[in-house]
Amino acid sequence: MKKKVLALLLSAITVMSLVGCGTKEAEAPEAAPAKEEVEAPAKEEEAPTSLGESVEGELTVTIWDEGQRPGLQQIVDEWSAQSGIKATIQVVDWNSYWTLLEAGATGGELPDVFWMHSNVAQMYMENDMLLDLTDKIAASDKIDLGNYYEGIVNLYSSNGKQYAIPKDIDTIALWYNKTIFDEMGVAYPDDTWTWDDFAAAAKKLTNEDHWGYAIQPGNNQEGFYNTIYSMGGYVISDDKKTSGFDDPNTIKAMKLFTDMIAEGSCPDLNTVSETAPNELLCAGKVAMSINGSWMLAGYRDNEYAAANCDVAVLPYTKDPSDRVSIYNGLGWAAAANGKNTDAAWSLIEYLGTKEAQTKQAELGVTMAAYKGCSDAWVNSVDCFDLNGHMQMLNAKLVFRPYSRNTVVWEDMLTEKLKEAWTGDKAVEDVCMDIAKSMNEALAEE
Amino acid sequence: MLVEKNKKTPREKSETLWGWSFIAPTMLGLGILNIFPIFQTIYQSFFKTGDFGKGNIFVGLNNYKKVFGDVEVWQSLWNTIKYAVVEVPISIVIALLLAVLLNKKLKGRSFFRTVFFLPMVAAPAAIAMVWKWLYNSNFGLINNIFHIKVNWISDPNIAIYSIAVIGIWSVIGYNMVLLLAGLQEVPRDYYEAASLDGANSWQQLLHITVPLISPTIFFVLITRIIAAMQVFDVIYMIIDYNNPALKKTESLVYLFYKYSFEQSKKGYGATVIVVLLVVIMILTVIQLIGQKKWVHYN
Repeated sequence: MKKKVLALLLSAITVMSLVGCGTKEAEAPEAAPAKEEVEAPAKEEEAPTSLGESVEGELTVTIWDEGQRPGLQQIVDEWSAQSGIKATIQVVDWNSYWTLLEAGATGGELPDVFWMHSNVAQMYMENDMLLDLTDKIAASDKIDLGNYYEGIVNLYSSNGKQYAIPKDIDTIALWYNKTIFDEMGVAYPDDTWTWDDFAAAAKKLTNEDHWGYAIQPGNNQEGFYNTIYSMGGYVISDDKKTSGFDDPNTIKAMKLFTDMIAEGSCPDLNTVSETAPNELLCAGKVAMSINGSWMLAGYRDNEYAAANCDVAVLPYTKDPSDRVSIYNGLGWAAAANGKNTDAAWSLIEYLGTKEAQTKQAELGVTMAAYKGCSDAWVNSVDCFDLNGHMQMLNAKLVFRPYSRNTVVWEDMLTEKLKEAWTGDKAVEDVCMDIAKSMNEALAEE
Repeated sequence: MLVEKNKKTPREKSETLWGWSFIAPTMLGLGILNIFPIFQTIYQSFFKTGDFGKGNIFVGLNNYKKVFGDVEVWQSLWNTIKYAVVEVPISIVIALLLAVLLNKKLKGRSFFRTVFFLPMVAAPAAIAMVWKWLYNSNFGLINNIFHIKVNWISDPNIAIYSIAVIGIWSVIGYNMVLLLAGLQEVPRDYYEAASLDGANSWQQLLHITVPLISPTIFFVLITRIIAAMQVFDVIYMIIDYNNPALKKTESLVYLFYKYSFEQSKKGYGATVIVVLLVVIMILTVIQLIGQKKWVHYN
């Protein structure tokens, strides 16, 4: 008997230590809460232990969105056929991606080619972690930076040098549940809607079973940032020194949403912090949700959403010309100290060409950063009329507000806004408070 | 036979050699992966760290001054303590009762032992995801079965306890196995004698079992308190950043993760974790002193 228990204990401890070793590193970043699903959230379940370092003669390409991998691999394979160099795409989920990329940068083992994002681009560029592409672009007959959306090009340049080639662009649009609109007798949203119409419709669409609209409190790009700029407010000044949260127009935009929560046409903070708005939309619990174009794959693959939902342009404030879409775009970057920088550049150059960008749209991967190449994206799915997203490209495009260390004040923003969403504190006071803290954070950068 | 102490027989020499070579991998691992980083972390806590480990600026005790004035750090220490105070005692009491039951001759005993141990083998990430849905206030199983509307994980007053429940559930099996091993050491005749004297099973548990396995209980207590003070994964997985209960649930390790890896302030993160190290050390020393009062080594 004693032996038996001892054996059980020993095997238990062995299992424990195995599980312990296996999870200690992995569990934290794995399946992380999508605090900021700036690009599509994690789909890869495997926990990676390394981002893949440079190996001679073969390129490692690292991205964070499994939804985009099949399409991109197809494009990369075409490049391989031309260049004779093998390149494999590896997917690491959003949170692990940044932790591991930073560790890789510190230890000098970055992948050859990878995605860059506005949150941290400045930090990577200033520390010379990314391959300087300036001269290569000047010498290239395939790349002309004038062909891409300006904000994305500027994002990846620092001190007059260019460190990445724009990959894609996103737009924000209004996703809605046709079935709920029909049931409540409300006309579908169209390009005549103002933000006031939007709030009034949300009220009409609310009953015991569902809400009119669900806010995404942790993701400003898919929500109040669009309204702030549409109403004439701003988040951060052009010189990135001062906050715009004390601007009366910014406060007015925030109030639109806090009022909706207060009158019950938008679920309270508890609800949306437990169940994300896109999940609520897919469950028929909410009639409208403001989402980015990167959410397409998620909605397309959800049976309920594919059958009941569609997408329209965002509302405007006074005049259709003030319809705003906060946009962001990824960039293809290479490691400064990679072993295959020539091959890496060749791949990046190919990915930036008109053909590759058009193909990216055709395959439904994302809209193209290359102007005028996105039309094919609209036909990449049958179940939704993607013109809602496409037409937002003609709206006033405002680049997603960022600074050198965006995460610090964005975290603070999300944290402080909670009191405004719950109604514990007047939204005016919260915004003033945010402006003060944000100015302090910006001064420290 | 008197042998000089320094001189070893060939057999002893070979035993020493083998002994060291057997523990060498563990010692090396501990040294490289645990002990060295501890000192590195302490060293780092005196710096304002630059990007990618370059350009660190020595700031002396500034990080510590900041930590002691940081309300968030104190709140998260309090959250961590609340978690430990609920998780540790309850999990040990339940585990003890289960161990006593499963030490008796029962039908399907091994089956139950395995069942109670299973949560320990499951991946913490998977556990957190399942519980997150159980707790969901709109669609969750718990609220729907009992027809109640409780915000288990987004009400600042109860969220930390909801998380402690998950902790208890996950760790019962592990505690139980350790206590079962301790129970095997208790001689049968004590119970027989006690029965003859008319002691009921409750009295037997309190006056025979608990004192006799107190060394095992002590071991479980110490390791569980250390582990509970380091709680992170469940909180990180369940409490979203926009959750209104975040401030009342984030633990010290969570705060460390946030500063070090999300906001790239590694120096300040290191300071937070050094504070936790000191707190755990103090708690452990207190327990080592306190054990003299209640732990009986035969």
